[in-house]
Amino acid sequence: MLSKKIMNVGFEAVAMEERRPVGLDELAHYPVFPEELVEFLRRAVPASRQAALVWSVTLTALKPSLPEGASHGA
Amino acid sequence: MAHFTETEARTIIRGAYAQNVCGSGTVAERLYTPEELEGLPKAPVDMALGVGHPVRHARLRPGDVVLDVGCGAGIDTLLAARLVGPSGHVIGLDMTPAMVERTREHAALAGFGWVEVREGLMEAIPLGGDAVDVVVTNGALSLSTRKSRGLAEMFRVLRPGGRLALADLVVTEALPEDVLRSAPALAA
Repeated sequence: MLSKKIMNVGFEAVAMEERRPVGLDELAHYPVFPEELVEFLRRAVPASRQAALVWSVTLTALKPSLPEGASHGA
Repeated sequence: MAHFTETEARTIIRGAYAQNVCGSGTVAERLYTPEELEGLPKAPVDMALGVGHPVRHARLRPGDVVLDVGCGAGIDTLLAARLVGPSGHVIGLDMTPAMVERTREHAALAGFGWVEVREGLMEAIPLGGDAVDVVVTNGALSLSTRKSRGLAEMFRVLRPGGRLALADLVVTEALPEDVLRSAPALAA
């Protein structure tokens, strides 16, 4: 879905460089996840999903080069 | 269905990041190598809130002009600055004045005079078109309620042939409704 969004705005050569699951235990290390929020998520999210609540992805993409000899506004 | 308006989301996120968000360096230790962290000021390392390491995949070269979208306290801005060197230029962009100020301080502490920090939105990047060689962004896009607009702006400011390196969190299955309606969860 994210790759598609990136392509939709004009990027090409979209590549997934890294992809790994991020669970609640890892998120709890972030100060923007205060203890109350982590506890709320532990209650609200099924236990089976808590080890991979979200995925960390790193993507790269290129803005297409101009055709040889072309210039802006041409 | 959106659970927060754009304005509500921005207010919640600005509020969360304007607070004294300071960790213990645990996040940085998970994402970056000791060699990468060596020599950086302690504060941006402690305050790292990224979710990946886009700079590692950005293939930066000396002299490159780099934009770090959602620079936070500036750890990726500083890592990029180290790689492009004084012949390059790194622009940190953040919508939170407190983070802009922190990255400015951290760049000064590091002695990276080729870092510039601007306050602004990823959906309206305060740069002209074709202005940078590389855009990096780490955990910022998911904070936008207009992700496609943010991506379109990153595309606009890149020069033709320029590279985007983007790290973020994605969900592969819908989260429970209670979570989607939670303001603290949105900010996080």
